[in-house]
Amino acid sequence: MPLQIDKENSSDRYVVSVHGEVDLYSSPELREVLTGNLPSGVGSVCVDLSGVPYMDSSGVATLVEGLRAAKAASVTFVVVAPSAQVRKVLELSRLDSVFEIRDAL
Amino acid sequence: MTRDDIHIEIASDARLLCALRALIKTYVGLQGFPVERADEVVLAVDEACTNAIRHSYGGRPDQAIVLTLRSLSDGIEIVLRDDGTPAPRERLAPRELVPPDPGTVMPGGLGVQIMYRVFDEVTFEPGEGTGNRVTMRLKRPPVRDAM
Repeated sequence: MPLQIDKENSSDRYVVSVHGEVDLYSSPELREVLTGNLPSGVGSVCVDLSGVPYMDSSGVATLVEGLRAAKAASVTFVVVAPSAQVRKVLELSRLDSVFEIRDAL
Repeated sequence: MTRDDIHIEIASDARLLCALRALIKTYVGLQGFPVERADEVVLAVDEACTNAIRHSYGGRPDQAIVLTLRSLSDGIEIVLRDDGTPAPRERLAPRELVPPDPGTVMPGGLGVQIMYRVFDEVTFEPGEGTGNRVTMRLKRPPVRDAM
């Protein structure tokens, strides 16, 4: 099923809220947003995953690409409110320590 | 040979993965695994299918993936077969994942390593000319005595 991705730019924060399951089929959609141009002047990208019940390794790879893109633009990249399943896949990928993870926006 | 509990063929279309996940989750729950374990199994089987779609079939959505699920005396066995390009053996070896420097390193082959971490036993059998077969086994959790 396709994802729903809402983008909101408030003060210096760019909030990307993802709704749906992120897998091989849907991750390109998220990749497009996370590696696309950032709104000018933002200091951080917050990827709100509270609406993501499931993510596979292609989703994890997509988050890593987003992190790289943010770093290249000297912008902080934050993963917000991952579900237990998303935390698990980050952990199994040994990438949980690579991301700044927050419980809420 | 005991009979398979479930034997299905699905098209190598990434759109179908969500339907497959629902099936696996229900089956693994039925086999007495707790929800967290079932979620891990769903992920690992999803990764196996993703590899078949991406690597064996190069993203072609109209090829066949055959999946069998069966109950063993001490657990479950899930076998996935495809008729695509055999995977190079070096991609299939277990390795230690170290947190990469995200500035330079892209994670690759993550799916295979997730499969090794989730299952007790994973056997890859890339075919000589064509096809791949991967067998994944997981022991059932011990049954608690009724109080």
